[in-house]
Amino acid sequence: MGEEFDNHLQELRRGTVVLACLQLLRVPGYGYGLLEALDGRGFSTDANTLYPLLRRLEKQGLLTSEWNTDEARPRKFYRTSPAGSRLAHVLTADWRQLTAAIDSLSDQEH
Amino acid sequence: MTATLTQRYIAATVHSLPPSSQDDVRAELSASIADAVEARIENGEPPEAAERSALNELGDPALLAAGFADRPLHLIGPRYYPTWWRLLKLLLAIVPACVLGAVALGQALAGEGPGQIIGQSIAAALSTALHLCFWVTLVFVILERTGAGLPDWTVDNLPEAPESASGRVNLIASLAFLGLAAGALTWDRSAGFVRIAGETVPVLNPSLWPWWMTGLLALLAAEAAFAVVLFARRRWSAALAVANTAIAVLFASLALTLLGRGQLVNPEFVVLIVERTGSSDLPRILGVLVAFSVAAIGVWDVVDGWLKARRAAPS
Repeated sequence: MGEEFDNHLQELRRGTVVLACLQLLRVPGYGYGLLEALDGRGFSTDANTLYPLLRRLEKQGLLTSEWNTDEARPRKFYRTSPAGSRLAHVLTADWRQLTAAIDSLSDQEH
Repeated sequence: MTATLTQRYIAATVHSLPPSSQDDVRAELSASIADAVEARIENGEPPEAAERSALNELGDPALLAAGFADRPLHLIGPRYYPTWWRLLKLLLAIVPACVLGAVALGQALAGEGPGQIIGQSIAAALSTALHLCFWVTLVFVILERTGAGLPDWTVDNLPEAPESASGRVNLIASLAFLGLAAGALTWDRSAGFVRIAGETVPVLNPSLWPWWMTGLLALLAAEAAFAVVLFARRRWSAALAVANTAIAVLFASLALTLLGRGQLVNPEFVVLIVERTGSSDLPRILGVLVAFSVAAIGVWDVVDGWLKARRAAPS
């Protein structure tokens, strides 16, 4: 991937991180763990974008949070709320539609 | 000791957040940083280097805090920028020039010397421009942060088409005004605006006739011809702007020269004013006012012509 397309790629990927978070956090997770999980699944994100994003989604009622103090290091665990699930559903459906639309564009070419 | 950098980083991030969320962000952020440092140490980095690089990766705490608090990272965003820029340009084009003229007029009326007049009026215009920039920007920065709405743009906000500036109405207005001016000049000499005890006292110096007055009337005729040519051409051009400038400069220099030499106004009329009002200062003040008006109108005329020519130029 050449650097010349970085801006366009970034533009296209904006928003997919939200969907990935909503899907991954159906199983409760904490900040750094989620960062690693996203990275492992090809949604590499900067820590300084992800941490504020989690709080924003929580404020919008799409995530719920709970402090887990069982371990030596207390961590804040996030989990996708019912509203978050609905949003994930809508976003996934839209993504599929977009994929079909893009495919039909490339079909025309041939 | 290794904790200090992290503590400083967290303090720098948290201090600008609302108090209600500070403790929560502090606890979460320290866990996240500890996790990141731990992962780096497991990968074989020495502890101190691991802490440094983990914090470097998080970046500027102010940026992170803006993300947590959902604050904009710009002074004026795209929603307000065009309005801000339009308003600022409009105000900067009008207000400092008015202040310059007003302060210069005030200083001249107070009888100050030319150095004082120029210095004071330029300083006032500059500080006005500075204040305009600051306060207008401040208002928009506040708007940006309070989210107050602006009316939506519609086609009614489009600027006027440049052609409308050279239409029929302008021709008629110019010709009517020039005709009135020429009529007033001759009327002042023949019938007189001012009559004292049945005797006519011309306002303008009678010794200006015939040569100076012929020149003045010729300039009025040139203005009329210019208005007709402008109407026929339908739009301004650089050549027309040059002609307009020449006429305006000639007129202003003629009027100001006569005024400066004290030849423009009838000496009898001056004596009359002083006698009637008992104020020996009044003729001087009137003279300054007239000189300023002549200069201001001339400058406006020239600038206006060039602006219209530039707007009409095919780009």
